[in-house]
Amino acid sequence: MSRVLFLVFSALYGFECLSQSMVNLPILFQPVFGQNKIVLNDTINASQFGGKSSIEMLKFYISKVQLYQNDSLAYDEDYSYHLIDVSTPISLNFIVSIPEKLCFNRIQFKLGIDSLTNVSGAMGGDLDPTKGMYWTWQSGYVNFKLEGKNTLCKTNNNQFQFHLGGYRTPYSCLQTINLKVSEEKPLVIILDVEKFIKSIDLAAVNHIMSPSTAAVVLSEYLVKCFTNQR
Amino acid sequence: MRKKVTLLSLLFILISAIELSDYFYIPKNWPKPLYDFSQNPLSKEKIELGRLLFYDPILSKDNTISCASCHTPFSAFTHIDHALSHGIEDRIGTRNSPALMNLAWQKQFMWDGAINHLDMQPLAPISHPDEMGSSIDVVVQRLFNEKFYRQYFYNAFGDSVVTGENTLKALSQFMLTLISANSKYDKVNRNEETFTLQEWNGYQLFKKNCNTCHQEPLFTNGNFADNGLSLDKTLNDFGRFKITQNTKDSFCFKIPTLRNIEYSYPYMHDGRFNNISQVLNHYSKGIKDRKSLDVTLQKPIELSSNEKVDLLSFLLTLSEKEFVFNPKFQFPKKLILYKAKE
Repeated sequence: MSRVLFLVFSALYGFECLSQSMVNLPILFQPVFGQNKIVLNDTINASQFGGKSSIEMLKFYISKVQLYQNDSLAYDEDYSYHLIDVSTPISLNFIVSIPEKLCFNRIQFKLGIDSLTNVSGAMGGDLDPTKGMYWTWQSGYVNFKLEGKNTLCKTNNNQFQFHLGGYRTPYSCLQTINLKVSEEKPLVIILDVEKFIKSIDLAAVNHIMSPSTAAVVLSEYLVKCFTNQR
Repeated sequence: MRKKVTLLSLLFILISAIELSDYFYIPKNWPKPLYDFSQNPLSKEKIELGRLLFYDPILSKDNTISCASCHTPFSAFTHIDHALSHGIEDRIGTRNSPALMNLAWQKQFMWDGAINHLDMQPLAPISHPDEMGSSIDVVVQRLFNEKFYRQYFYNAFGDSVVTGENTLKALSQFMLTLISANSKYDKVNRNEETFTLQEWNGYQLFKKNCNTCHQEPLFTNGNFADNGLSLDKTLNDFGRFKITQNTKDSFCFKIPTLRNIEYSYPYMHDGRFNNISQVLNHYSKGIKDRKSLDVTLQKPIELSSNEKVDLLSFLLTLSEKEFVFNPKFQFPKKLILYKAKE
């Protein structure tokens, strides 16, 4: 009898799983400079480090978005590549379709593009080379681009340019980011550019345009600049 | 009725398959291609579009330079007579443009292997200020502005919206069809022709001295090596070192195929040798010994002048006239008509 009941229940459960309805989970990536949202080309008074600063470009790839309940994988996004570009506000948002009532308390994603995708030829959508995130003189995606001005940079127009990328060892820049999240709250992930810039000695390091040790170090800094909305 | 339809579609598939195999095939006894065709399945329409793009200077900033400017078919798709290739506004690059053939069997591109996939290769010359001086997004926009190309993209991809992905994939498709596997050497291998005594002697010398790097049947092993060329102080080109930052890779350049070598002069990454004899002289007495020098060259290759003549006559059996004159590879007439209408 109990065996029959078990079968009935498992069949019912299976049916429920198959018919499980999906819900949209919106995710917002919000780049900020300290307390403020980033407005491109606006002058930011950053007196703690070198006076005036401005951000002219901020683009980065988020890939392999996964949701975890403690240590077990609850959701793994299919074909997970998102280009976040501050100049295109809509790109800050994307939606993943997850099963209803999915339990999760952690989000994991990569900052950048994995090495396999880097050697797989021409791709479309956010990975299309027309998006300006692919190096031309040497193959590979740029994972993260930040350009702007800061009076600490003794360069032409006080410019800094950080193009972080590279997939070959020992210069692989791909980073994994883990954040605690709550199912009840909207998923808003903050990237604090001020924190990132503060961690760099801008007078000495202001141009990185190719895979290198410096690019790896700066990519590692970035991991700590992502937080879940407080 | 249904049977008829299936039969018809089968027939259609067969016909199109046969036609496609005219464009791409795996020569007998060749290894499996390295290009992943599942991500870019060949079609006649895409190959045709790729050929138009290959010959159209629309890819360059000022509409003067096409891929074919530095990769002309009659020189086995290299830039004959130019040691260093030049681009827009007569700007000179730093390297000799490589001959293009059998690209489905190649994994790394450029003399230093900077490019990891055939699809991504065109991005380099399109963007380089000394070559085409443009960018892929400008190219895509320009192509989309042309009704002519919107039609060809629609035919090829079922979408007239031009994308970077489709532009690059079409270019790959044309380049993948550039197969050279029908030289005298190949015919001898298939027992259709025989070597002269001189060629046969040369073949033995080749197998003894050259085959490790210039491996048959592709006549390259796809690797990089320091072949002992002295550093040109005006170029200061350290080859693959630039890419890997590893001193072991100093002076290492890609080992090029020897197929169609007769047509593809000048030779070496900087085009420093104008003829094959100079190349043979380099290997017999010009090697510069240094730490990074390839192990196979550490003992000098000793060749008498008779042996050099024999080796040369073998190397000439790698020429394929049908390849350089293949009508499927030449400037597409449609492009002339379309340009004339403008």
